[in-house]
Amino acid sequence: MKDEQFDNLLRATLSRRAGATHQNEAAVERVLNRVSGPLPRQRRPRWRLPAVLLDWQFAPAWPRMAALACCAVIGFFVGIAGFDRSFEAPDPAPVSLGGGGIGSITFEPEALTGARP
Amino acid sequence: MDESDEALMARVARGDQKAFHLLARRHLPAIVGLARRILGNAAEAEDVAQEALMRVWTYAPRWRPLALFRTWLTRVVLNLCLDRKRRARWVELETAGEIVDPAPGAGEKAEAAERERMVASAIDNLPPRQRSAIMLTYGEGMTNAEVAEILDTSVSAVETLLVRGKHNLRRALGSMIDKDN
Repeated sequence: MKDEQFDNLLRATLSRRAGATHQNEAAVERVLNRVSGPLPRQRRPRWRLPAVLLDWQFAPAWPRMAALACCAVIGFFVGIAGFDRSFEAPDPAPVSLGGGGIGSITFEPEALTGARP
Repeated sequence: MDESDEALMARVARGDQKAFHLLARRHLPAIVGLARRILGNAAEAEDVAQEALMRVWTYAPRWRPLALFRTWLTRVVLNLCLDRKRRARWVELETAGEIVDPAPGAGEKAEAAERERMVASAIDNLPPRQRSAIMLTYGEGMTNAEVAEILDTSVSAVETLLVRGKHNLRRALGSMIDKDN
């Protein structure tokens, strides 16, 4: 028997096993009647997180994105200027630390091998 | 407009019996059919369907919509059926041989019935997970992804279960399948 024939045999067997539609309808009605009486007590969780913690949504939304952008801008300016300086007063010109002129930043060849970095 | 299963479950969680009955009526045909396919016994299938609905009612306040309600309910029914089959193995009256009808064409009918009885019996003897995969795929017409979600496994694992299940069935039904060739 080929695979397809075997699959069809399985389908036919299982569908016949499920019973005819009218049998199922009768069964459904019987079960519905059985569960229409008084129902047992529901089991509620003893401890649950406050709803606000369960309602967190991580999907992007415009107000949240705007808030995030504002925080980023504030963080950028505070990082550049610091809390102790105002934005209007520019920093003094950078001071040369080497003091040796252009020659001090020239990399010398290594004395022994002559290799340049 | 019909409420979604998840919305009805939210109402059931608050103790709404009307929502529970709506949900029961919506899903009962499917769960009775599934239980009958697995158990092969109408009375047992009704008991399982009732038990599954009672679990829906009882555990509704604890239910979280992490998966589709239908998937969760199918898993509950499947586990209840497998538990029953594990607890008691009996010879089902419905699968017993039938008296041969002398009417024309009765021979072919009886032969087909006998063949289906053998296939059903071979399915019953499969390991539980292989049986579940076969039932859900060929009986319920579910996709491998849906079966994987219900069995809490991966799609490739479901494919393996199906291949092994069918291999075992072919081995069990060897002579019958050879006869048809």
